[in-house]
Amino acid sequence: MYQPTEILIERGEEDAPVVQRALTKLPELPVRVVEKDWEQKEARPADRDPFGAGKRRLFFTRQRARFLEHCPAGTPGLVCCNYLVVSLISNCPMDCSYCFLQEYLANNPTLKVFTNSDDLLDEVAQVVDRQPWKQFRIGTGELSDSLALDALVGFSADLVPFFAARKNVLLELKTKSDCIDNLLTLESRGRVVVSWSLTPPAIADTEEHGTASFAKRLRAARHVQQAGYKVGFHFDPLIEYPNWETDYRQALEQVFTTVDPQGVAWVSFGSLRLTPSLRKVIRQRFPHTRLLSGEQVLCDDGKWRTFQALRVKMYRSLISQLNRLAPTIPVYMCMETAPVWQKVFGRAPGCDKDVARSLTEPNLSYGSASQ
Amino acid sequence: MVTQDEQWQAQRIAAYAQRKHLSGTTLARWQAWPATDQAALFSLLQDLQCGENHLKDLLDWFEEISARDEQTVADILERRELRSAWATSGSRHDKLKAVKAVLRRIRYPRLTHLEENVRQAVKALDLGRTGQVSFPSDFEGDEVTITLTVRNVHELRNGLSQLQQRLDDGRFQRVFDSLDEV
Repeated sequence: MYQPTEILIERGEEDAPVVQRALTKLPELPVRVVEKDWEQKEARPADRDPFGAGKRRLFFTRQRARFLEHCPAGTPGLVCCNYLVVSLISNCPMDCSYCFLQEYLANNPTLKVFTNSDDLLDEVAQVVDRQPWKQFRIGTGELSDSLALDALVGFSADLVPFFAARKNVLLELKTKSDCIDNLLTLESRGRVVVSWSLTPPAIADTEEHGTASFAKRLRAARHVQQAGYKVGFHFDPLIEYPNWETDYRQALEQVFTTVDPQGVAWVSFGSLRLTPSLRKVIRQRFPHTRLLSGEQVLCDDGKWRTFQALRVKMYRSLISQLNRLAPTIPVYMCMETAPVWQKVFGRAPGCDKDVARSLTEPNLSYGSASQ
Repeated sequence: MVTQDEQWQAQRIAAYAQRKHLSGTTLARWQAWPATDQAALFSLLQDLQCGENHLKDLLDWFEEISARDEQTVADILERRELRSAWATSGSRHDKLKAVKAVLRRIRYPRLTHLEENVRQAVKALDLGRTGQVSFPSDFEGDEVTITLTVRNVHELRNGLSQLQQRLDDGRFQRVFDSLDEV
């Protein structure tokens, strides 16, 4: 379990339910009450690895900006799936060597938990309830793991009932953990997808520090599926290394011998993508990683990826394997160009809505049927 | 415990860095390598006299090959193809070019193989000076540009007929096929 070294609470937020829940779970830790602008004045932790040290300072504060945003993967030139994200936590207790937060939150001195989850729910309600004809997919796994801290903060108890009550929106909780206990007692009515980011054990064990093992993630997936949730799987990042093909194929096989394909909402694939500055950070923080040794080239969006012909080969190999194992599951690629979609699927989506619809429609109709 | 040899080596590397105006970061990265690897790269650089940018490429590639192949930089530098590029006669610039080409082939074996296949397929088109075929950088994307350079209608007619013939005999198909072959 995540073990912070210190708890910081913004003045005025001491009685927020999430703060009280966390203090009960971590009674031994030093607690400091700080002013709301403390973080701007605070230097990064004095440590050889300030980013890593920042993850262990748990800061409860109000979110004053908007919660609901468009997924940043919607970059010009890339096929987008019209995904929306909300973040109740900013920064992640896990420490994957390829994680973009190392660059995006480089100067962040803490792991922030927002105390005003009610504002988030109001904001989402404003958007989705006013457009009942429109279908939405919203995820919480952009700036943190959706479930890794759930035993501590218990946000699933706020989120799941809220989304379960709405017919036109799917909530995705994306995780590399096995922290599912809170979910098992909640009723999702098919409108919550719990999804796991997966890499083969060879990568998970060496590059995804602080995460649950591949086997534990799959066991957790089976449990939540048995509890009535739809599950999803993201082979993202897809990492090219000497034994990638055998390892990923075995991983896919294990997924579908563990879970029921009927209850899988979607599977996605996305090539490892690294900005030049993220590569620098990775070299510094994880000097022994083999991640940077793949045949990656700089693409038009300024990110390094496995060169196109090779990543097309990877996508084709895994998607054909997936089609053999579970032919009806919606599949998509994240942050890929139309030419790559064309080569992999034989067609590129006409517009972003095509991809979004292929993911929401089959899953939301499941939701209404279960009412 | 730092030996006298290592101390002497460190001084020579620092002197090289000063002479070439290397940044502190680049020097620190080189100095973070095991002593034998630092020394092996130093002997190469004594010959090549690289500045900051070329050195950064070399550091990237050596570190990435080393991690992938689980070999030390000193061992990588002993590979026959690298030794032979290093021994190339000619100017320092020629040597540097040869060494970097070999190192890039080791670092990107499938990409350089694809480049070679595409080059062969384009060569087989035999378009002479009239026609040129070009590709996006590192073959990212799906656009192939075919350019005809002509001075009159007669040359245009010949150029187009040549293209048609290459289409009919499958040589253009071979070019497109080669873009996906890894």
